[in-house]
Amino acid sequence: MLDHFASRATPVHRLDAAAKTVALLAVVLATVLMVRGRFLGFVPTALALAAYHAVSRTPVAFAVRRLAVISPLALAVVVLFPFLEPGEALWRWPAEGGGLVVTREGLLRAADLLARFVLCSWAALLLLATTPFQDLLQGLARLHVPRVFVTQLAILYRYLWVVLDEAMRMRRARTLRDGGLGPWRLRLRSRAGIIGVLFLRSWDRAERIYRAMAARGFDGTLHTPRRGRMRPADWVFALAAVAGAAAVLMGDRLLYG
Amino acid sequence: MAEAVIELQDVRYRYPTGAEALAGVTLAVRPGERVALAGPNGAGKSTLVLAMAGFLWAEGTIRVAGHTLSRGTARDVRRHLGLVFQDADDQLFMPRVRDDVAFGPATMGLDEAEVEARVASALSAVGLEGYADWAPYHLSAGEKRRAALATVLAMQPYVLVLDEPSAGLDPGGRRDLIGLLAGVERTLLVITHDLDLALETCDRTVVMDAGRIVGDGPTADILADPTLAEAHGLEVPHRLRGQGG
Repeated sequence: MLDHFASRATPVHRLDAAAKTVALLAVVLATVLMVRGRFLGFVPTALALAAYHAVSRTPVAFAVRRLAVISPLALAVVVLFPFLEPGEALWRWPAEGGGLVVTREGLLRAADLLARFVLCSWAALLLLATTPFQDLLQGLARLHVPRVFVTQLAILYRYLWVVLDEAMRMRRARTLRDGGLGPWRLRLRSRAGIIGVLFLRSWDRAERIYRAMAARGFDGTLHTPRRGRMRPADWVFALAAVAGAAAVLMGDRLLYG
Repeated sequence: MAEAVIELQDVRYRYPTGAEALAGVTLAVRPGERVALAGPNGAGKSTLVLAMAGFLWAEGTIRVAGHTLSRGTARDVRRHLGLVFQDADDQLFMPRVRDDVAFGPATMGLDEAEVEARVASALSAVGLEGYADWAPYHLSAGEKRRAALATVLAMQPYVLVLDEPSAGLDPGGRRDLIGLLAGVERTLLVITHDLDLALETCDRTVVMDAGRIVGDGPTADILADPTLAEAHGLEVPHRLRGQGG
C-alpha cells in the first residue's frame, strides 16, 4: 500500500496533513532553488529529513525500496549529464579524440541533480508514509487545492487497487493457460491484450461510477466536507519548516550566491 | 387509491444497434409496495431501471414521486429514486465509507451536522456502525453491498431500487441482506432472478421477458405457477415446488 505505515501513532503521524504538506513544499522549494554544485547546502535539509524519518519510525528498507521504484525516471536524465555538459574532460572513448567525453562539470551536475532528486523524493515519501491518504486529501482541500483535483486523486486512489486486482486476475488466467512459458513474442502480445482490456473495462467502470454519482444527485459540483484543523503544534511545525527552508536558502545564497 | 410512486406508461427503448430492449412496459408501484422485478438475463430489467433514472432516454412516460422524467427533471427523479447498482465497487467511489455515505446528502446541500447525522443513521441501519473510516477496498462483498445500500438510504429516497442485490454473495451475506431488506420501511423495487429473495422481501412480483411484462401479481401466486416462472428462465425455490400445481 501507498500509505502502509501511515496509521502509526508517532508525533509526526499526529501532525496535521496540511501542515506536513506545507513543510514538504518548503523542503522542495529550498532544495530546487539551491545554488548549483555546492553540496554543503543540502546537509541541513538532509539532517532535518533524517530526524523526521527517525521520529516516524518508518523502516529504512521501505523508504529505499520506494525510492528505487521512482528513481529510473530521474536516473535516465542523470546518466546523460556527464556526457552532455561541456568542461574539463576526465575520460574519453575511444582514447584518441573520441566521441564520448565525460567531463568533471558534467559529473558534478549529475551528482547535484541526483542529490536534489533524492531529497525531494525522500521528503515526499515521508509525507506519504506518515499521513493516511484520506487525511492528505483533506489537507489538500483545506490548502485550497481545487476540489476537482482532490476528487480525482481520491478516485484514483480508490480504484487503483480495483484495477490492479483485475489485472492480476487476468494475468493469472493467462498463466494458467500458457504456464508462464509461451514464446516471448506471444507473451508480449497477450500482455498488450491485457492492458487493452483493462483500459476498456476501466472505461466502462468510469461510466458506471458516473451513473452512481449522478444517481445521488451529482451535477458537477462537489460538496465534500473539509475536515481536520490546525492545532498549535501543527502551526509550529509548518512555520518551523518554512523558516528553516528560508534560512537554508538564504545561507546558501550568502555563501555561494 | 394512493397515487403511484413509480408510474410507467408504455415505455419503449431500442438500443442503437436496433435490438429492442423495452417493448412497451406499463407499470405502477404504489407507496409502501414491495415489488420484485424478475426475469432472465437480457429481459430488459436493468435497461428499465436506467430508463427510469434518465440514464437512457426511452419513449413513453415515466413518473417518479410526481415528477415526469425529462432532461430538466432528471435530478429530482434520481433524488427520489434510490438506485443501488449491481457492482458495489461502482457505487462506493470515495476512499472512505463515511465520505461515500455522505456524498448524496452533501450533494443535496444539507448542512454538515445533518449530513453527519444521516451518515450515522444510514450506517447503523445496515449494521456497519464501526466501518465509517474503512476503505471500501477492505470490505467483504456482503459489507460492500450493505455500504452501497447505506449510501442511498442516507438520501432518504421515496423508493429504493436495487439491481441484483444478492448477486455474488455467499449464503451468509445473502441471508444478512434479506434480513436487512425485509426490515427496510420504504417502497422497494428489487430487480432479481433470485425468486427466493423475492419471496422473502417482496409481496408483489412482476415478471419481465423480452422487454415486456409477462406476469404481475402477489409473489406467492407467481411462484405457485412454475410454468410461468420456468417459461421465462426463472427457478421456483425448491421448497415451494409441488405446492401450487
